[in-house]
Amino acid sequence: MKAAVDKGLRTGVIFGIVIVVMFLIGFTVTGAELVGKLFGVSTPSNTMPSLSFFALFMILMGTWTGTIAAQHPLVEADTWKRALTAGISAGAFSGLLAAVIGFLFGGLNSSKIDPRTYLPSISPESIKMFLFGQTSLVGSLMIFALLTFSALAGASLSYFLRSNNGLKSGTSAATNSISAVMRSERMTSLLQNKYARYVMMLVFAAILLILPRTWGSYWNYVFGTVGIYIILGLGLNIITGWAGQLVIGYVAFFAVGAYTFSLLTAPEPHHLMLNFWVALGLGVLAAGISGLLIGLPILNLRGDYLAIVTLGFAEIIRIMLKSDLMTAYTAGPRGIRDIAGPTLFGKSFISDVDFMYLIIIAVLVVTFLANRLQNSRTGKAWYAINLDETVARATGINAFASKLLALSLSAAVAGLAGALFASRNQFTGPDDHALMVSINVICLVIVGGIGNIPGIFLGAFALKGLPEILRETESYRLLIFGVLLIVMMRLRPEGFLPAKRPKLEKNSGKEA
Amino acid sequence: MDKPTSTPAPGKLRLGRYLRSFAGILAGLFLLWRLYTALIVDQQFGADTWVRFALSGLILGGMYALIAIGYTLVYGIMFMINFAHGEVMMLGAFGCFFTFEALRFIPAPTLAIPDLNFLDAHPILSVILAFAVGISVSATAGYFLEKIAYRPLRKAPRLILLITAIGASIFLQNLAMLLFGPQRKNVVNPELLDRGAGWTVIVSGNPVLISYTGIFSLVLSAVLMIGLYVLVQRTKLGRAMRAVALDKNTASLMGVDVDNVISKTFIISGALAGAAGVMWAIHMGLVNHYTGFLPGIKAFTAAVMGGIGNIPGAMLGGMLLGVIEAVGPAALGIDFQLKDVIAFSILVLVLIVRPSGILGEKLSEEKL
Repeated sequence: MKAAVDKGLRTGVIFGIVIVVMFLIGFTVTGAELVGKLFGVSTPSNTMPSLSFFALFMILMGTWTGTIAAQHPLVEADTWKRALTAGISAGAFSGLLAAVIGFLFGGLNSSKIDPRTYLPSISPESIKMFLFGQTSLVGSLMIFALLTFSALAGASLSYFLRSNNGLKSGTSAATNSISAVMRSERMTSLLQNKYARYVMMLVFAAILLILPRTWGSYWNYVFGTVGIYIILGLGLNIITGWAGQLVIGYVAFFAVGAYTFSLLTAPEPHHLMLNFWVALGLGVLAAGISGLLIGLPILNLRGDYLAIVTLGFAEIIRIMLKSDLMTAYTAGPRGIRDIAGPTLFGKSFISDVDFMYLIIIAVLVVTFLANRLQNSRTGKAWYAINLDETVARATGINAFASKLLALSLSAAVAGLAGALFASRNQFTGPDDHALMVSINVICLVIVGGIGNIPGIFLGAFALKGLPEILRETESYRLLIFGVLLIVMMRLRPEGFLPAKRPKLEKNSGKEA
Repeated sequence: MDKPTSTPAPGKLRLGRYLRSFAGILAGLFLLWRLYTALIVDQQFGADTWVRFALSGLILGGMYALIAIGYTLVYGIMFMINFAHGEVMMLGAFGCFFTFEALRFIPAPTLAIPDLNFLDAHPILSVILAFAVGISVSATAGYFLEKIAYRPLRKAPRLILLITAIGASIFLQNLAMLLFGPQRKNVVNPELLDRGAGWTVIVSGNPVLISYTGIFSLVLSAVLMIGLYVLVQRTKLGRAMRAVALDKNTASLMGVDVDNVISKTFIISGALAGAAGVMWAIHMGLVNHYTGFLPGIKAFTAAVMGGIGNIPGAMLGGMLLGVIEAVGPAALGIDFQLKDVIAFSILVLVLIVRPSGILGEKLSEEKL
């Protein structure tokens, strides 16, 4: 029994702190808005979401607390009593923390002290909502009770689901039957049938042809961004996923591509006005060469130096682009305007639908190349280096040259993405190339599945597409990315869609 | 994951080595040329300006050195770049800011001045309190960072640790931004430590201000560095740390509690970063969530420059980097906006010319 209480308290502390932090950064309001959105009620800006949504959000948090606290392997002899004890103690403790913070801020609110001087995310309205519009004592008691009971409910739910084998086997039977159908002979033969594959590809192509026309410009914009990030992810994946070298300042190559392309095609500041395709090629080339030059001195050193040096390089590029020194050459902080759009046979096609097609084609080409690379001799060499560089070298792989090739290729792909990005926006400036871009790309590669091409597609849609739908979470995006990186590395370092290759190192590990 | 080639295979990498020394010589010649034009041809600045630059560089260098020690300690023991170290320092700076703000609200009336607050009435006590708060906040942050984020990954490959560290850095930075808001906060010092106050020295006919905050920071960082050196060299914990850095398995066989030592290392490095953060807040006077990022990366540069894993190297590297950064733009005759570029260029140059740093790395072969 004591172990169950201990476990419950530990879970309660963690969730209590999470709830308190959510309150302090104003996420309780956003959470309530999200719950409201789930019910199809959008909250207009400058108004608070309804109290019931907030209550529901807190109930969800409490239920989650209870479920985690009552999880089987951590409560020894699995009885309903123990599970419920763990749940209720977790709920009570997290509720206590929330109630204390609510009481404190409720007191501040009633004595007309505005906490916003030091904690700008908390408004009097959000405090009022946190206390359900009651006085601070009643409100904090309410939130305490709410969290405790919902944790209890969560614990009993998790215990019920666990003990009730019928339900469990029902769901697992459903998933089993689906996977059985997928794995059945007819299905596999259908998948392997050449003509069936052609038909599927045709259907896929038709969808890709039709969709950009029906989406409207907003979704074209969103999915265009997703497409560009897929390209970036595929590029970073070459050096990080396959060759195993982390590059933090990946945005540097993106910037080199974008600026080379823009300077060659824009009327200001050089008036070169090159053809779109020539400039695109040169942008890709310039980015590839910059990758080569960065890699040359660094790549035969310890792996993590590359991460920092590329980070430094990215910062150098950003600062240089912003400084007055380079204004004459790169248009400085104002950025470059009127960048050329793509032309074909003298006809320009700059409309967002046309550009979406261009991005789709680029994504398909890069995916094709990446796929071929992965299965090539070079790809296998990268994989060997990733697993164990000494052994790889002993088998005759020139590790330095392979890594250099990987870095230049991935830099070139970033250059392509940068050029496309600049061309689509018809503008590029130093702020387009902040470190944020690299962090996004690292996150999407890692969350989707490092070293796995479908994983990168998933990651790009999840990390660049979803936030467009969940606009409320905009300001919390980076925070969530940080948490996501830590949690993913701890629980699922291979990502949601792991690569098929045997990840010997990832599983067995070795002494760091 | 990857083995470095500090001793490259003969033949294969000869071209690379030539290229490296060529690049090094080229960079050196370029630097000499710039120095010559700025110092002898142009003579834009008088001696007083140089003294001012060097002084601010030394003060900044002290802070860099303290942060760099944290990188080096952790790198020596865990062999990872604790990317979130700059954020730990930022938390320390916030600790100082909030302590000062809180003390400013406590009235401490005297007969002469009735509306005196605690901060101005007891400046020394306030500064001590600020350091206590800042250091404990940062040390706690370091401890929990290790415990929550890094400890479960003790046996994981280094790429995973590095990604986790980046995640922690992003998390802490954005948490601070969401909690305290993105705008910069003015740290109001006690009147005694006003940023404009100090001794004035006349250099070549012009007054040069040696601010109290600067001297205070410099002296304190020197004291802390000496204290750390004594701790590592003379105490039992220091010996355990060195043993763990040398070889974890053997150390644990010899009865060293490796987890405990790693925890303490993070606490020590966090405390040093916290002290640097408080100095930053007192001396620079501006704090926001981004405060830790650039000093963190620059301190890493300093650690690499001095030879990573080497504590005196980190101190030397930090001081050098501070001075170079302060004097550099003027000496090389480049724009002051490009001050931050210097640190990164140094990083790249050091890695090209002498990747083991000035004083050399002190890492056992085992871990390389």
